[in-house]
Amino acid sequence: MSDRITPMSMFDYDARPATPGVVLVGTRASRGAYAIRDFLSRNGYPFEWVDAGQPDAVRAVLGVAEVEPSALPLCILPDGSRLPSATVEQVAAGLGMVAAPSRSEYDLTIVGAGPAGLAAAVNAASEGLRTVVVEAVAPGGQAGTTSMIENYLGFPNGISGSELATRATVQARRFGAELLLARSLVGVSADGAGYVTELSDGTLIHGRTVLFASGVEWRRLDVPGIDDLLGAGVYYGAGPSEALACTGSRVVVVGGGNSAGQAVVRFSRYARQVTLLVRGPDLGASMSQYLIDDLTAIPNVDVRVRTEVVGVEADDRLRAVTVRSGDSTEHVGLPADALFICIGGAPRSDGAEGIGLVTNDSGYLVTGSDIANDPRASWPLPREPLPLETNLPGIFAAGDVRCGSVKRCAAAIGEGSMAVALVHRRLAEVGGD
Amino acid sequence: MTDHQVVAHPDAAVFAEFTELASDERIATAAAALERNGIRPLLAATGADARALVGSLLADGAEVYNNTSQTLEAIGVADDIERSGRYQPLRLRLYRMDREMQRRELRNLAASPDHVVGSVHALTEGGSLLIASASGSQLGPLVSGAGQVIFVIGAQKIVADVAAGMRRIYEYCYPLEDARARQAYGVPSGVNNILVINKVMTPGRITAIIVKERLGF
Repeated sequence: MSDRITPMSMFDYDARPATPGVVLVGTRASRGAYAIRDFLSRNGYPFEWVDAGQPDAVRAVLGVAEVEPSALPLCILPDGSRLPSATVEQVAAGLGMVAAPSRSEYDLTIVGAGPAGLAAAVNAASEGLRTVVVEAVAPGGQAGTTSMIENYLGFPNGISGSELATRATVQARRFGAELLLARSLVGVSADGAGYVTELSDGTLIHGRTVLFASGVEWRRLDVPGIDDLLGAGVYYGAGPSEALACTGSRVVVVGGGNSAGQAVVRFSRYARQVTLLVRGPDLGASMSQYLIDDLTAIPNVDVRVRTEVVGVEADDRLRAVTVRSGDSTEHVGLPADALFICIGGAPRSDGAEGIGLVTNDSGYLVTGSDIANDPRASWPLPREPLPLETNLPGIFAAGDVRCGSVKRCAAAIGEGSMAVALVHRRLAEVGGD
Repeated sequence: MTDHQVVAHPDAAVFAEFTELASDERIATAAAALERNGIRPLLAATGADARALVGSLLADGAEVYNNTSQTLEAIGVADDIERSGRYQPLRLRLYRMDREMQRRELRNLAASPDHVVGSVHALTEGGSLLIASASGSQLGPLVSGAGQVIFVIGAQKIVADVAAGMRRIYEYCYPLEDARARQAYGVPSGVNNILVINKVMTPGRITAIIVKERLGF
């Protein structure tokens, strides 16, 4: 008998799914495999990742040691069916995530299931409005990938973005809101006093009002060769699906905002070394002080200000990031196994263009009194636009996608909640069922 | 206690003793004792009946944690909880959490599920329930953390008394669980924690479904 103890967390034992889950076979350098890993991770689907380059692991799940490269990524669904050369859309459909709208008409169609959209969904549905939310990727938006939000009211020990999104999604559904996932917005068109929203799979949703809460996406880093490495060591956002894979590796994060800071904190728990590259002279202008304090106290974190990425070195995946610091013209290679880009944001307002919503020069949706003062907006009603209303009566915007919004989770939730009160006023105005 | 040596499989006599289904009379005795102890007993003729009973006890949308259990897997309840879409399966939610950043959330959620569905290793004729656990994480919610607890118990688990229940755990369940853990997780199991529920102070919080079939071990 030995009294030696095998250290083990309950993650590995009592939280392991008891039933078969999703198995994904692929290569680490595959962009398609990363897209599926990211999608599953952000939607809360546990999955087993099998590296196609490890014959024993492949044999354990497939019975053979090798997979034809053209069949990768290969996804095995819980029912045992296999999807060769799998795509996110196929996996979503195979997991039963692609549902049709249950109603012929809704009081409110919400575009985007980030903090603003979910807050609106909870408030609207709880007040009896027939509510549907459409989301292209996963509930939670950018905040959903945040490792720990420490300044959100009511959570003195912090709450992770994914947990906040999970709770909000459960809450919205409990009140009867519908969530249509894994399809992007194609466009919105007028439909009497309301609007029709079209999704990428052809689904049409009739809504008496529409709320754009589509948020922002990460701004692209304009560096030669970087797009070729997406999923192969280069990632946009905090990459929650990649944290475990970064164990013992060298990670570089680019960005000076809270998202970048939170990503650094997360990766520092796994990686050997995390380097944060910030173009500005300090972090104070864009990052909350508590995060700056956290970063300062973590021994394996190196913060480099006035530093920008000018190139990447790679073979089949990223090997190094080339940087330039301060006023120097010298390019320095920084060995890196992964690069996470968390810079700025570009508004996800693409689907709003066709119907003629007014945006600012950067693409953010203009609302409220700014509409009244904008010569491009031909406001059609005798009343003034409501505070979050766009130039089209009954179409509102809230959260990061809205011009002038405060780019904080709590602010987005506030705007999403506020929008519902304005939706009520619009519904009363147009009347009918 | 964690033993790194492979535990010997139960011998034929032990196997026979602890796999024999209890008679209807002993089932009735155990059920009556459970009721006296504040635990609601329900009887099911088959695993399928037990599965339907569990389904009738859980509301749509309920937050449910399914304990690691061969019984639940065998009769389809684990699948119902994790895959049907009817419930919020807490196990999947915990498993996807960041094991470095979300330890606290994991601990809090795991400690207080609205509903726990699991099994036991022994049920005595005096109405006591015995559950052994390697990690112990499942035991706190059974005692007080969970809002409602549902046990599904094959009738072969009925024993005379707590002493016989302890023997069942050490001589029969442990070797089988050790083999399972080594295969499933690559690590040995251990009788590291044992919970004995003799009586509950909130009648009805725990429901015990006794199934007249050999289920689990």
